[in-house]
Amino acid sequence: MHLHDLTIKKFHEGLEKKEFSAFDVTKTFFEYIETRDKEVGAYLSIHKDEAYKQAELVDLKVAKNESVSWLAGVPMAIKDNLLITGLPATAASKMLENYKAAYDATVISKLKSEGAVFLGKTNMDEFAMGSSTENSAFQKTRNPHDLDRVPGGSSGGSAAAVAGHMAVAALGSDTGGSIRQPASFCGVVGLKPTYGAVSRHGVIAMASSLDQIGPITKTVEDAAILFKTISGQDKFDSTSAVPPAGGKYGEELWNPKLEDIKKLKIGIPKEYFGPGLDPVVVKAMEEVMESLKSLGLEFKEISLPHTQYALSCYYIIMPAEVSSNLARLDGVRYSPVNGVSRGDHDLAELYKKNRSHGFGAEAKRRIILGTYVLSSGYYDAYYAKAQKVRQLIKDDFDKAFQEVDVIFTPVAPTPAFKFGEKMSDPLAMYLSDIFTIPVNMAGLPAVSIPAKIKLGHAEGQAGLPIGFQLIGKHWREADILGIGQFYEKLSG
Amino acid sequence: MSDITKHSLEHLADLSRLELSEKEEEKFLKDLESILGHFKELEALDTSNILPMTGGTSLTNVFREDGERKSSLAAAPVVDAFPDKERGYLKVPAVFESPDANIIRNIKS
Repeated sequence: MHLHDLTIKKFHEGLEKKEFSAFDVTKTFFEYIETRDKEVGAYLSIHKDEAYKQAELVDLKVAKNESVSWLAGVPMAIKDNLLITGLPATAASKMLENYKAAYDATVISKLKSEGAVFLGKTNMDEFAMGSSTENSAFQKTRNPHDLDRVPGGSSGGSAAAVAGHMAVAALGSDTGGSIRQPASFCGVVGLKPTYGAVSRHGVIAMASSLDQIGPITKTVEDAAILFKTISGQDKFDSTSAVPPAGGKYGEELWNPKLEDIKKLKIGIPKEYFGPGLDPVVVKAMEEVMESLKSLGLEFKEISLPHTQYALSCYYIIMPAEVSSNLARLDGVRYSPVNGVSRGDHDLAELYKKNRSHGFGAEAKRRIILGTYVLSSGYYDAYYAKAQKVRQLIKDDFDKAFQEVDVIFTPVAPTPAFKFGEKMSDPLAMYLSDIFTIPVNMAGLPAVSIPAKIKLGHAEGQAGLPIGFQLIGKHWREADILGIGQFYEKLSG
Repeated sequence: MSDITKHSLEHLADLSRLELSEKEEEKFLKDLESILGHFKELEALDTSNILPMTGGTSLTNVFREDGERKSSLAAAPVVDAFPDKERGYLKVPAVFESPDANIIRNIKS
């Protein structure tokens, strides 16, 4: 067994055939993490005791010849904004440096009941605010394909853990592209599910109408398996739901039929292929389209005319929700902030000291921006206007989906960029999520899949992964995951 | 749409319960000017007949039975996870340390 080859499916098959034990695989992962993560920095904390205990329970079941689920014993990495009872959940912020979760997020409860093994919590942009994982208060995560480059963000730690073979799979969260963009930069698969398909109970909220938890995996098939496990309506999250008409996500998710997939028409939005797109990304997209055409899939040009407004709209609505969600963090309720004494201030002053000391620059910038767009006199001009534009963006997609079943786009305008390249200019950084943001605005499902190409030195940036994005109709994860699985089979 | 000034930035920071250093103020003023400038593109859009989208999707509310529910949290782990505690209770900084505190003490006594 080699860690590099392990997928959820291969792990499960090997476990059932007793080719290895869950304990031994877990141990091997921890040994590898010990050396490899010194240079990558994917994990903020690792939790050997809990992981070994869980692995032993799975091994006991296997020894008794009891059937085990797909995820039993699978070594996973969890983004540090998801709560696991008794473990740290810092959201990569000094504000929660000393916080330990008192309950499990619903997605964690589901994975625990399946017997998954949690290796540790992964690095991220503070409170999921960023596109490079450079905003973590604690450490830098490097792209496993090129250590001088960012892994993307904000789920950069989770993507780097999977790409660096330090976990078989991971969970991330996606508010404007935070699963798909790091998946693209790191060469792994990242799924942002339909808004409401996965419970947000137990995720440290950033922007509640946009956040969604999803899988980061090595294959599309694995993403489907993991998504099936974590999806479902939850009494603790009133925005969670089951697919309309009482439907369930069934076998079509991970076992699609080519005859069904061939019937899907793919839309190419002309607004996504304009200037500003790196030539290597254009070349990668062309190659993927040729592969998909060879499967018998038909392409059609479509228009999403309000795309250009999505970034402005997002950067009004998101910080508005950020300023509200982060208001609860005061250094009193969840954990004290290191370096701030608790006794010598009145309460308002204590809040200010804690929040000023605990939040990093990006969090402060978004809190202030959110407070501004919600404040009296500016609310209508910014927030109310943005909500209307959001409706226009959603209407564009609704109209497009009358003509096509799936939409094909790049994930990001460029491959992974170098550290510091965009840190001084927030707008330049925000633009790296330009192709993923509209999906969150409309609540649609979308997946980032690595283009199976080898760029030569002539194109520059040789060896860097580039992802393509498939956007589906609401609740039609099966369409985008189905196309993705046949693309994987096609390209080996 | 209005541009942000040093004075309004300080007011916003106060509303947000944040203290900004001179350096932070300088940087944020520059950043916000650039970001808010970008937002001006929305003025070109006519949205007079558009209803705002207020959530992630058009979902209907999930109602539960109107009955007593057990708490989803057991008290002990919550208290254990808290940094400062006494006799099974969460210990937080005193709130009433202003002159008004005397009133509270007088009421108590």
